[in-house]
Amino acid sequence: MMNLKNLVVAALAVCSFVGSAFAGPFTKKSELGGFDGFVERMSGGVRELGRGNTGSADTASMPGAFWNPAILGFRENLGVTLNIERRDLDRLGGAFGIEGKVGKRMGVGFAMLYRGDRDFKVIDDDDETMGTAKPFFSMFYLGFAYRATRQDAFGISLSMSYDNLDVAQYFEGIEMEDSFRSPVTINLSWLRQWNAKWSSSVVIRNLSFSKNLSAKWSKNPSKDNSLASTEGVRPKVLQIGLGYRSHIMGKPVYAWMEALDYQVADTLLAFDPQLHVWTGRVGFECEVVPNATLRVGMDDLNWMLGAGYKFELSIGRKKYPLEINYAFLYETSAGLWSPFTLGLRGYIP
Amino acid sequence: MKLGMMKWVVARKSIAFVAGLLVGGSALCTNAFAGETLFSNFVFAVESAGENGALWAFSRDGSYSGVTLLNFNVAGKGNVVTEATAQSPVETDTLTAARYEIFEESFAERRRIPTIYAGTKLGFVLPMFAMDKDERYRKPAGFYTVRDLKNVIENPIDVPSVANDLDTLKDDPMMYANSGFAFDSTAKRLWVARGALGVMVHDISGKKNTDTTFILNTKTKKLERLKNDAELDFKYNPEIFDVQLHPESGDLWLATAQGIWKRTSNGDVSRALESSVLDTMRVTGLWMGGEPLQIIAETNYKKDENSIGGLWRKYGEKPKDFSKVNFLDTAGKKQKKDIYDEADYTVSDVAFIGKTAYVLVRAVGGSISGYLKLDSLGAKAWEKDDDGKDQWLYGYETGATDRKAVIMSMTTFPLSKNRTGLAIATYGNGVSVSADSGATWSIVLNRAKLSNDLGSIRMVPSVITPGDEALVSYKLSKDSKVTIEVFSYDMRKVRTIVKDAERNTDASRSTNAKEDFWDGRDDHGKDCTMGVYYIRVKDNHGHVGWGKAMTLGGNFR
Repeated sequence: MMNLKNLVVAALAVCSFVGSAFAGPFTKKSELGGFDGFVERMSGGVRELGRGNTGSADTASMPGAFWNPAILGFRENLGVTLNIERRDLDRLGGAFGIEGKVGKRMGVGFAMLYRGDRDFKVIDDDDETMGTAKPFFSMFYLGFAYRATRQDAFGISLSMSYDNLDVAQYFEGIEMEDSFRSPVTINLSWLRQWNAKWSSSVVIRNLSFSKNLSAKWSKNPSKDNSLASTEGVRPKVLQIGLGYRSHIMGKPVYAWMEALDYQVADTLLAFDPQLHVWTGRVGFECEVVPNATLRVGMDDLNWMLGAGYKFELSIGRKKYPLEINYAFLYETSAGLWSPFTLGLRGYIP
Repeated sequence: MKLGMMKWVVARKSIAFVAGLLVGGSALCTNAFAGETLFSNFVFAVESAGENGALWAFSRDGSYSGVTLLNFNVAGKGNVVTEATAQSPVETDTLTAARYEIFEESFAERRRIPTIYAGTKLGFVLPMFAMDKDERYRKPAGFYTVRDLKNVIENPIDVPSVANDLDTLKDDPMMYANSGFAFDSTAKRLWVARGALGVMVHDISGKKNTDTTFILNTKTKKLERLKNDAELDFKYNPEIFDVQLHPESGDLWLATAQGIWKRTSNGDVSRALESSVLDTMRVTGLWMGGEPLQIIAETNYKKDENSIGGLWRKYGEKPKDFSKVNFLDTAGKKQKKDIYDEADYTVSDVAFIGKTAYVLVRAVGGSISGYLKLDSLGAKAWEKDDDGKDQWLYGYETGATDRKAVIMSMTTFPLSKNRTGLAIATYGNGVSVSADSGATWSIVLNRAKLSNDLGSIRMVPSVITPGDEALVSYKLSKDSKVTIEVFSYDMRKVRTIVKDAERNTDASRSTNAKEDFWDGRDDHGKDCTMGVYYIRVKDNHGHVGWGKAMTLGGNFR
């Protein structure tokens, strides 16, 4: 007889798959693409990217302050991760994280996510190229976790963004402002390691102290108010993750699933399905040979393949566990593939 | 304020600099190959250059003003072909012909840039404005004469001390801005309407050019020489807003704050017509031309902060006085309401071809602009819109421009020996030229060279605010069906601009400017968030090209 846990797991799995495969038809009115927060949506960490950007239910995901601050409660060592993504159309991304244990039950971590365009041609109304801008968009996270039991940890992270469009120099006559900082937003999370096989996570992102708890703020692109101010709005996100570990033919295999709900409305809670965008992520990995892992995943309609290799670096008497990761990405809607993503992570015992 | 109205910097400086280097200081560059190089696509005025197929255009972009000389010919099917263009910046970047707030100004005479072709000695004549202490171009400084690209000459005009003594003039120097020109080719005199300072004659008949300013005295009925310490009394010395030389009598007609006056060749001054409905009106513009002779007059005054305009005409010899221009519906029935009842319009220019007068009008702020076609009966609507409203204005909707740009100026010019060309200047979309009296138009504007088969996609401009139009500029090597879509940074599709739309191959650009643009919004009309977006163009032959645009974002709706 199927118990409650398995029922929940099965439901989540179905949601993830359905979300992945049929994200489009649900978005009748609301579009996610036009909303702020794509840095967050694109995630950080090449290891996680290779398996469909799944990472919230995995205690080994890094940077934990981004994926799920509760992960920090499970840290035993000082962990560092550095990732670089070179996507087609001159898009450069990256993630950096450093995190560690504080006391017996707590963890703290910092994460930075970066996305930019390295070759944006500024073209004026006379069809003349004025120069090349390098706009970038970044998110910073400071996460804290408390491990309430051996199985459960709760986390909170404070995040803010800093964007720089890098185009002000091309305009005169107005005092243009092209860099913007968001107010601090709050992310809450829970991670439970049910047993050796199952884990689950719940992350609520982008809450704010403003009205409706919406992460919303004004951006004024001109200091002299000659351009209309605009609004940055980050949708509230409910992210539910699930992890399953097992062995097939003696090889460790992992399955990861995440269901995400983006509330595309400036209200506390919106129940109209037209104001929600549902997507899913799913990923699998297998340690095919000791320390070498192959991964496959799907984030919304995008496909990923990944690989990772663990090794140890000896410096003096100390040994530092390191892992190098690679991911291949195909962005289905746009028909773009990106073969150049590399990540490095390691621990300082 | 839209980004399109904003000023771009850097490139213009480099163009002027490089051009200067190329010709050793005369800052002249030519482009005989593409034939599509204007000083800027923000063109404020066009004027005949005297010779067949030659047209002057004055542009201003950011801090830089310049003129372009365009040369056209007419191909076998009647298409206008650009043969060559050459441009030159004006010498001093603290002077320009495009005055500050030309779009917003409520006085009609200040909302246009008067120009004239004044023979080979003076050439293209434009007003000249200097910066005031707030660095705004609102200080009348004289006029430009552009004989050729190497002779863009600044002609400063003395300002008498009365202009500094009278508070009204001191506070608002635009009261004596140049607002009209007339050239007497026989006497070799350029007449310049100077508003509160009357009318000036720039005499080029002698060895040395001389300037003399006169004020109209309605009591003595004389044009009196304006002395440096003269006292002005606007009751008897009305402002003179425009000047025209009557093509038949040769009399100088003056559009004044107290009706229309004339000065005959022997110096007598009187009302232009014995008795006219315009005698007490503030006549701000006067245009003459066509066959039979048409005289168009514009009246304009302010009431409760609103600008009240009127369009008047004297058509042929029969009528003894001006009458209001009739506005007719598509069936030719006279309408009670006209465009002046809908918005605050003023006349920017009038051009004449045969019986037809082309009256270019623009609403305050530049929100609407277009030209009326006046035949012997009046302005006839060319269409009724979906709400049943008569459409009198020709422009974007009738193909005069392919983008919704403000039409700034209009002129006729000799296109070939037997053909009169019609040209319009637009703010952002270059110059449009017609060889068939406005039935079809050819558009001349700056375009970067594109690679075939979607090899390069340019968004023009690439930085916008929602509601602006970033043109998707691309080139096809054969007729194709094209799909254009917009993706966010994370490659989610946010907008389909066109799907399987038929586009033709073209020597420079296959873009359909009326459809192929992104306005910074998604498929549901919502403003996209500030950031970089990626525009994919696909044809049905397997070619794919990408462009990039940045929106400065809009409001959450």
